[in-house]
Amino acid sequence: MENTKAKVKISTILLFALCIAAVLFLPGQTNDYSMRVVNNALIFAIVSYGLSIMLGMGGQLTFGGLAFMGGGAFTAANLCSGRLGFWLDPVLAILISALLMGVMAFGLGLILLKLKDTYFTFSTIALVQVAYTFFVNYKPLFGGAGGISNIAEMKIFGVGFGNNYNLWFYFLVVVLAIVAFVVERIRQTQLGRSLASIRDNDTAALTLGVNVYRTKVLAFAIAGIFAGLAGACYALQMRFIGADMFTYERSTLFIIMAMVGGVNNSFGIIIGSLVITVLPEVLRGVPGIDRYLQLSYGLLVIVLMVFMPMGLAGMASALSKRFKAFISKKANAPVAEKEVGVHE
Amino acid sequence: MNLNVMLSLLVNGTAMGMVYALMAMGIILLVRAIGVLNFAQGDFLMLGAYVALGLLVDLKLPLPIMIPVALLAYAMIGLIFMFCIYWPLRNAKYPAAIVIATIGTSIMIKELVTIIWGSLPRPMPPLLENEETGGGLLLEISGVKLQWQMLITMMVGIAAIILVFVLFEKLYAGRMMEAAAQDKYSAELLGIPTILTVAATYVISISLASVGGFMMAPLLTVNVTLGTLQLRAFAGVIIGGMGNIKGAIIGSIFVGLLESFASVWVGAYKDAVVFIVLLLFLIFRPQGLFGMKIKDKA
Repeated sequence: MENTKAKVKISTILLFALCIAAVLFLPGQTNDYSMRVVNNALIFAIVSYGLSIMLGMGGQLTFGGLAFMGGGAFTAANLCSGRLGFWLDPVLAILISALLMGVMAFGLGLILLKLKDTYFTFSTIALVQVAYTFFVNYKPLFGGAGGISNIAEMKIFGVGFGNNYNLWFYFLVVVLAIVAFVVERIRQTQLGRSLASIRDNDTAALTLGVNVYRTKVLAFAIAGIFAGLAGACYALQMRFIGADMFTYERSTLFIIMAMVGGVNNSFGIIIGSLVITVLPEVLRGVPGIDRYLQLSYGLLVIVLMVFMPMGLAGMASALSKRFKAFISKKANAPVAEKEVGVHE
Repeated sequence: MNLNVMLSLLVNGTAMGMVYALMAMGIILLVRAIGVLNFAQGDFLMLGAYVALGLLVDLKLPLPIMIPVALLAYAMIGLIFMFCIYWPLRNAKYPAAIVIATIGTSIMIKELVTIIWGSLPRPMPPLLENEETGGGLLLEISGVKLQWQMLITMMVGIAAIILVFVLFEKLYAGRMMEAAAQDKYSAELLGIPTILTVAATYVISISLASVGGFMMAPLLTVNVTLGTLQLRAFAGVIIGGMGNIKGAIIGSIFVGLLESFASVWVGAYKDAVVFIVLLLFLIFRPQGLFGMKIKDKA
């Protein structure tokens, strides 16, 4: 057992090294447009982390992340564009947006999480639809069909970001690292364990003294904070926000990102977001492929669900487990093969 | 609001409600029989509309030939869907996996349609054409003009509903399907071929949605975004009561009417009205108008 633990640590360190290398070398290599695509992938990863908590840990399928992302984006846009008669410091605006969305998610969660599985999923779909309709039509707060432009530039300690997407990249990497750290912490605390028990069997969880309702509401509120944070970052990076970002189709995208990467794996979430966001842009120019890109991406989702419901990260861990079993079989007496758990 | 407008809104809403009901019945059948919540139902409606367009406009088949060909194509699509999605995933340990797979299917259908028919919206001629103007034939009752296409949609919807009820209430095959839906294991012990009942469920479910698409294609233009109509069917399913065909039909017609009248009352906010009503139902009466017979499996 000790041995595997050490190996996991080595692979984690390797992944970290890879990430740091990417962080160091990526910004110099690409143009503004590609950088913005990568940044968007990071922002989407933040939203997907919310889904990782709700779906991966808690087993509750939610489409609601996008509604809160929209809420966060429009909150930040209103606070930083002078539409309300004042300009707030962007960092403060991001924090306020995240917090506000957390409060809203908490309030809505109190109502909606009384519902069980499928009903809750439907209620989040309804939420996305209602939010989108208001984003498109309600001019005073959301700018109507034209959206909100003239959002102030991002500033931290007096350093203006302007259109420097490299700075944005570093900022988002830090934010993402904090979010990933929080998620990993939650996984190991009482909240994470309660969520896992609800996912596996909510009746059993209830009899073991887990407050199922409160746990779900807390998870939903945390997912709301993440989505609000991501939305605010998105609005400030684009310096324009429109409603067409927040349609129902988009909300399925986050679920696909989380599932493709591996809904229960923190690295998987980032990989999934990068694959789904960046790959289409990379392959867009390739003649012959771009036409079938979306198609193959639907196919990828189906094939992954059939063979590897835990996504690319699940595939990697299953492969490494098999590899280890193979090695240890060769080295010494046969080790009892551990079944690859679906939820790990 | 005068009587004239009121009547046309009523007919419009009921016709759209019928289309939602066709989709909703399919959703319920799949949820009851297999426990699969199909997020591609609306895309099968869209695909049905495109297949009808292809046969009727691109291949110029006459109606009497085109209708059986279209129905056969819909049944085939249902079977393909079943063998590509349900069959490999029937023992999936992770319940969300199959739902995600239907979302993937939804993406694939959208793209297939775009590759085959292009991304531009296409008009489809109504089934009964006015030979002088070329538009849809209108029925005039004491000054109120109604589109025949809507009346046909309503009739087809009613016919489909009657067929489904006859199947499940009167026929032995329907009872077999019902038994397999309620308890697959005991049904298999009784010698019911559950694979056939599952296949039949898929064929019926997808055909219902596709026929809906065929019917509404002349009312709206044929385009990829028709798939989003499934959310209205979901709303109808919930409002009517999950797991209950009668409830799903009435709920869907209610959604159609609500949408139709809301477009006059609140204009662009009509979507919000439908889904706020859905949220209110979920909060205050989650079992829907008619409760439920069978436990929620999805």
